[in-house]
Amino acid sequence: MVALARKTLIYEWRRYLPASLAVAFSGMLLLVQLALVFGIFNGAAVYINASRGQIWAGYPGTQSIDLGRGIPRDTEMHLLADPQVAQVEPFQWVNGDWRGRRALGSVSVFVSGVDTAPDALAFARVIPPTLRALLNEPGAIIVDRADLPKLGISVGESGILNGYRVHLVGTTNGLRALGGVNIVASLATARRLNVGGDPRPAYYLVRLRDPGQAAAVAARLDPHGSERRYSVWTASTLAARTVHYWLFETGAGLGVVFMSLVVFLVGTVITSQTLMGAVAGSISEYATLNALGASRRALSRVVMEQAGWVGVAGLVGGGALSALALVVAHSQDVPVAITPLGTLACALLVMGITLLSGLLAVRTLRNADPAKLLR
Amino acid sequence: MSTATAIRARDLAKSFTVGKVSTRVLEGLSVDLAGGELTMLSGPSGCGKSTLLAILSGLERPDAGSVEALGEPVWYLNRKALQRFRLHHIGFVFQGFNLFPALNAVEQVELPLSYLDLGAAETRRRAEAALEEVGLSHRRKLRPAELSGGEKQRVAIARALAKQPQLLFADEPTSALDSVSGQTVIDILHRAARQHGTMVLCASHDPRLIAHADRVLRMEDGRVLADEYHPHPAVAEEPVA
Repeated sequence: MVALARKTLIYEWRRYLPASLAVAFSGMLLLVQLALVFGIFNGAAVYINASRGQIWAGYPGTQSIDLGRGIPRDTEMHLLADPQVAQVEPFQWVNGDWRGRRALGSVSVFVSGVDTAPDALAFARVIPPTLRALLNEPGAIIVDRADLPKLGISVGESGILNGYRVHLVGTTNGLRALGGVNIVASLATARRLNVGGDPRPAYYLVRLRDPGQAAAVAARLDPHGSERRYSVWTASTLAARTVHYWLFETGAGLGVVFMSLVVFLVGTVITSQTLMGAVAGSISEYATLNALGASRRALSRVVMEQAGWVGVAGLVGGGALSALALVVAHSQDVPVAITPLGTLACALLVMGITLLSGLLAVRTLRNADPAKLLR
Repeated sequence: MSTATAIRARDLAKSFTVGKVSTRVLEGLSVDLAGGELTMLSGPSGCGKSTLLAILSGLERPDAGSVEALGEPVWYLNRKALQRFRLHHIGFVFQGFNLFPALNAVEQVELPLSYLDLGAAETRRRAEAALEEVGLSHRRKLRPAELSGGEKQRVAIARALAKQPQLLFADEPTSALDSVSGQTVIDILHRAARQHGTMVLCASHDPRLIAHADRVLRMEDGRVLADEYHPHPAVAEEPVA
């Protein structure tokens, strides 16, 4: 079988390049916007993603981690009773109002009260033990480096939080919050800042002996019945609940769908136009082949195969472009995150663009009328 | 060599409508064409040569009349069956060579053969033989851009002959060629008729072709004005270099 589709693509690559580029850039747009949205909304789950431990216990039905409320202290005992549980640690949540320099007014902040032990779980991925030890000093806080301009202080300086003087003992990276500033303090400092709020911890973090058992243990520990006083989730479930809540609460989820449709449309228009042009450019050759007995179906297969290869080239190019964009974004502290499912969805959309473009180009073959060659 | 009737056409009529103007191209035309003969269709532009060629070869449906090719009532076949009939029995040579720019000569010839499901080896053998027949074996790896006009037309003829069709239709095959290339193409067509018993019908203005034809049909205004047989036309039997 003569590989007409492939040989034509290679020989006339200039003709097909715009189609592949359209597919590649569509793919990049789809993936980067998804990565940006996920990156931004992952910020809502930073408390979970930056911590170690496989299981979280919190107020029943909590939809997003920032909506946590105090739960009974005996939750800790219930959790520790499970043989798989190796470590349980309280996590305090306090909403705060920050006053730094007068010129900056007040800033809404979220205070996380965490254990200061060297092997503590909360924020273990972004706060090393030496930095964490500094929190033992009363009134000590740690913030993300990028939030310093918002708070208007630098390390060693102090500000007023919920009416109490606190001082900044260090900064870290990867603590940025959505819609406010994250402040990490010790449990003792957090309790002092919690003026008039529920004094009980909002969450308990759990480390398991075997992290692979997380789903089974979470199901086992989650209390059943209508009178339950807390819920238990795996860390990834709570993170996903949180990101979903933010995606839909803000309407960003719908925005992603809408934007994807626009990209799909633009990609399809450009790709199909290029492919149609290529088919139209070879219409006499196709008509001759049809005169000699090649069926319409066989000719359509050639066009669809070309569309397929254009798609594959576009997918590879789009992958490379996306990787480059994500690396640049990462280096500039732009929040981006990709998931295997999201990447797969983008790849499927890109192949959808080529498939639809190919089908539109096949329609151009209707003009391949061999009788016209004789006029 | 076969002289049996390959095509029997009766009372063909065809008109084209452009806007509100309807033009009658063929009017009650009947003709029989025999295998093993090179028949020339000559006449001024617009006399209906190409339309007749298209109707006889199963490319354009007549308004009235019938065409029987190799015993098959061509215009009673459905589209698929007609396509299959063309695949197995008909070869075409068009004025524009219509070669795929990306393929070399041998691939151009193999391409239509590949729809016959002959197997790779037989396909290659037939393609090579057809190129040999048109004297282009040594150019078989070249793409159209590297071939002269005459060579391109010879590749197009090889593409039509490789299927070993019983019916070969050619539309102005020499009009874009210089005299030497034109002569070569004529010889090849003639040999196809003589050696393979193929019915060759050739629409052309080219007077050189007339001298080589077994039979000349002169057309005007959609009718055959004269039907002349040339019993001993000049034939170049030796292979083309």
